[in-house]
Amino acid sequence: MIEFASAALLFIGAFFYFAGTVGLLRFPDIYTRLHALAKADNLGLGFVLAGLALRAETLAAALKLLLIWPLALAASAAVTYAIAQRAETLGIAPWRGEEEP
Amino acid sequence: MTIRNLPLGAFLVRGLAFALLWWVLADGRTDAWGLGAVGAVAAAAASLRLLPPVRRRIGIAALVRFLAFFLWNSLRGGLQVAVMALRRRPGLRPAILEISLALPPGAPRLLLVNAITLMPGSLGARLSDDGRLRVHVLDARLPVAAELRALEVHIARLFGVARGGAS
Repeated sequence: MIEFASAALLFIGAFFYFAGTVGLLRFPDIYTRLHALAKADNLGLGFVLAGLALRAETLAAALKLLLIWPLALAASAAVTYAIAQRAETLGIAPWRGEEEP
Repeated sequence: MTIRNLPLGAFLVRGLAFALLWWVLADGRTDAWGLGAVGAVAAAAASLRLLPPVRRRIGIAALVRFLAFFLWNSLRGGLQVAVMALRRRPGLRPAILEISLALPPGAPRLLLVNAITLMPGSLGARLSDDGRLRVHVLDARLPVAAELRALEVHIARLFGVARGGAS
């Protein structure tokens, strides 16, 4: 049962990493790519860590794995903001889209 | 500031938290608990110095509500961007929003700016000192402004601050 839940969580995590990477490759400019990376990869990391924590041998090891998530989340959010702000400062205009309303 | 002047309650709580952190980082091993204890005491003392305890406490209920709101919306945000990335036409319609924050400067604004990036469709791009925030939006058709206001209300409740000023 735990094996199954863990595998499911790891699968979901892999899906989000995959989607985030596809977004990074497909999206047109730096801002939209940051959206894809920040949001999808953080979910990917969260699910992968939850899946691994279920397999951990001790409670301490499971907590250690889960501790990674908020730390990486904080770092990722701060770095994403820093990159977006730098891009703004450099005057990189956001991609405006080609589709008709 | 010497150790003797430190508030004892906050020192105990933080010391215990750091001891727990040590236990977690050491994978539950106890053979170096002496070093861990020294580390926990030193970390608690340093934390009191760097971040003195404040009167205004973060309520547990507000914290739980904020975390639930945050987790749910980051899940929505991630799903939304994953769907956009994987479907044949991503359907992006990016725009820049400029909103005036009603939160006071300091920790509440900092949390907002960092949390925004994980909320559906929004990305914090620049916070100016007067509290105006430029937000990059993935799709201008999404109700991003309203969701950011909701996030702001949650953060204001979390810190127990009034949302004064502009709205």
